Amino acid sequence: MIESKRQRRMIANIATYIVLASLTVFCIGPMIWMFLTSLKYEADIVTQTMQYLPSRVTFDNYVAIWTQSGFPRLIGNSLVVTFLTVTVCVVTGTLAAYAFSRFAFRGRDQLMLGYLVVRMFPAVMMIIPLYVVMRGVGLVDSRFGLALAYTSFLLPLFVWMLKGFFDSAPKELESAARIDGSTRLGAMVRIVMPLARNGLVASSVFIAIAAWNEFLFALMLTTGQGSRTWPVGLQLMVGEFQLPWGVLAAGGILSIIPVIVLFAIVQRTMVQGLTAGAIKG
Amino acid sequence: MLSHRRFMTTASSRYLPLRALGELSETRYWMYLLLLPSLALILLVIAYPTLYGMAISFREMRLTRPGLDGWVGFKHYVAMWSDPVFWIALKNTVVWVAAAVALELSLGLLAATALNRDLPGTKIFAVLILLPYFLPNVVAGHMWALLLDPRLGVINDLLVRIGVLQSYKAWFADPNTALAATILVEAWHGFPFFALLLLAGLKGIPEDLYKAAAVDGAGLAAQLRLITLPMLKTVIAAAVILRVIGLVNSPDLLLILTGGGPGDATQVLSLYAFQTAYKEFNFGYASALSVVMFVTLMIFAAGYIRISRITKGQGDD
Repeated sequence: MIESKRQRRMIANIATYIVLASLTVFCIGPMIWMFLTSLKYEADIVTQTMQYLPSRVTFDNYVAIWTQSGFPRLIGNSLVVTFLTVTVCVVTGTLAAYAFSRFAFRGRDQLMLGYLVVRMFPAVMMIIPLYVVMRGVGLVDSRFGLALAYTSFLLPLFVWMLKGFFDSAPKELESAARIDGSTRLGAMVRIVMPLARNGLVASSVFIAIAAWNEFLFALMLTTGQGSRTWPVGLQLMVGEFQLPWGVLAAGGILSIIPVIVLFAIVQRTMVQGLTAGAIKG
Repeated sequence: MLSHRRFMTTASSRYLPLRALGELSETRYWMYLLLLPSLALILLVIAYPTLYGMAISFREMRLTRPGLDGWVGFKHYVAMWSDPVFWIALKNTVVWVAAAVALELSLGLLAATALNRDLPGTKIFAVLILLPYFLPNVVAGHMWALLLDPRLGVINDLLVRIGVLQSYKAWFADPNTALAATILVEAWHGFPFFALLLLAGLKGIPEDLYKAAAVDGAGLAAQLRLITLPMLKTVIAAAVILRVIGLVNSPDLLLILTGGGPGDATQVLSLYAFQTAYKEFNFGYASALSVVMFVTLMIFAAGYIRISRITKGQGDD
């Protein structure tokens, strides 16, 4: 009886590892393949018999995407847009998240629900009027205009996520500071924000990744080199110049490096914030 | 108290505006002031454009023909009724979303159950399995286009090697497989979202329930049916509706993989609306399409929430 129980446990453990390993291959395999492709000569990619491991390694594809296609410019634009988006969200969203987390006032629940509902609005429904409005005020093909458009769906998300982190910061220290004569503003800046520092970083990283990756708004709202971001640039390169696979793969790898690095650094806190927000919501 | 505050003000008297703000924070309007910037921004970039977009759907607006302008009432909505592409796109949206969500939910449940056993070394699996969710659509799309390429796709090669396929297949160019292939890519991209939420839900189920069930002789299947699924009901319901909304609204992946083709085999509503605006600059019709999509989605969401009873507070476990 005990023997069979142990056996059953053993089988379940092995099955668990098999499931996890298969899912990991499914998730990571495509990325590894893209990485291997980016290291191959074009002649080794387009072959009669598939080469699984590159027989010879080259960095030409990386050199090609970086030097021949205005890729640095695209990356630069993306960095600016991402930075602006995060700044706007952090400045306005932190205040709102704090108000939602610490004060009871009339209309609070309705307002929070409103912040949630606007996230459900289809991007296409927003893109057309935003394009018309922004064209009217000269914000089409502007990095600031694009960042402003991004706040339309990232700010509500940021507020919800950060509110969860503020909620879990203890209120006692704040009360103590208030008793010592600190203003509400002082308590917020000096006590609560340092306490929720990890959450603030994780929420910012989450919207930074979203802004960095965004494609649809950027496609519609940028028309020239001046503000075009890398997802749009890469997509247009594929269409226009029949970009070789190796070069495309190299571009893909370069552009996801920041995502992977940021994700690796804050994944634990970010996962915490995402699940807390989603389960409560 | 008063002297204390005077002390504080002299200490920070160099920052006069800051001190004024600090005093402002003591008034009872403070929370509204805190909300003001984000609220103003949201009204500006969401509420106003939304209302304006609804207005556009009752107008003629084509940037390519500036002469055409003015109110046309329900013209676009009537035109939609007899537009065959609209009906195809509607059908495809339902199939695409339902299949993708079903697949993602199953894979997510599998991943979450496995991760929840907390065997040694599974932390690293959790991180790796989560990664696709954070990858950009543009990279995900082209990566899978490479994997499934009709001439040099590694998946074709593997399938031929193990004897499933006779020869390489053009997955995205064949109307019979195009939609299924895009669903596979979407599942890869989206299932970590389910894994993430379901894992959090599983962590909330007390271990004792399983022990008690095991004592009563319940097998793994019975435990799943009698404990896990009922306890996860709220989380599953919330995750499904969030994902449905996300999928209906975002045409990115299809735009990159197939552009709606071949023919209209992978045309969905959001993509049709986007292309009507982006390629034809027919903003009036595109707005009408997106309004119909939005209203349909809202009706679905309201009905779904009522049926699955995700009410406030219930999901706090």
